[in-house]
Amino acid sequence: MKRVEIRLSLEAVLPLIAVIREVADALSDDLAAPNSLADIEPDLREGWREDLVAAQNEAIAVLLALFDETFDESGIVGFDADNAEPVLRACAAVRLRLRERFLKGLDEEVLESGDLEIESLEEPARKAFMCYLFLATIQELIIQHLDTSILDG
Amino acid sequence: MSTHEQGSPSPAGATATALEPRWHVIVLNDPVNLMSYVVLVFKKVLGFSETEARRHMLEVHEQGRSVVWSGARERAEHYAFALQQWHLTVTLESDEAR
Repeated sequence: MKRVEIRLSLEAVLPLIAVIREVADALSDDLAAPNSLADIEPDLREGWREDLVAAQNEAIAVLLALFDETFDESGIVGFDADNAEPVLRACAAVRLRLRERFLKGLDEEVLESGDLEIESLEEPARKAFMCYLFLATIQELIIQHLDTSILDG
Repeated sequence: MSTHEQGSPSPAGATATALEPRWHVIVLNDPVNLMSYVVLVFKKVLGFSETEARRHMLEVHEQGRSVVWSGARERAEHYAFALQQWHLTVTLESDEAR
């Protein structure tokens, strides 16, 4: 089974993980994407939302598990066919909420390109934007290296 | 704008389907999800080829929305749910609402 491991700078990443945990807490009973469920059959709607929230929470738990005590010592995270898909989805959920909560003031072009002087941002937007880029990098790594594993899974 | 109709209904099924409105699964643009991520999701959830997935992703990006599947309501809801699990912004529309 193909596995990708990357070593991260603990000094750089640990503050971002605190942001991810904070956002994860806020998402525990709330959907990250602003989907309208108005077109869903009314008797399906609540169960639909609950199932989406449950799937979101499961994926975020897999993401957070990457940054456990072992990571605190080694700085290494590993991705494989088992965790690639939930980690990808969790990164998307957290990025959406980071945008909603901290980065509303940024142009869509900036969000899409990531092209911004970090120093131009005040806290907490600065740390949120770094976290936003960090999670995008994780997604790109997984897609680049584990695309086939995800599609076959 | 192209759509996908999956499966080959029997003549009887086709008659029943013809009486029901077609439902459209529509993916809306968001500035957050990566283009490569959206392409992967379209391939994974909808079974698109790389070329189809990229074409729909660009349609979402440039025109703000793309109809990624059309057909019976139950199947449309299945795809909408799966795409929402991947945190794409999705809506359903029927022919009657258009």
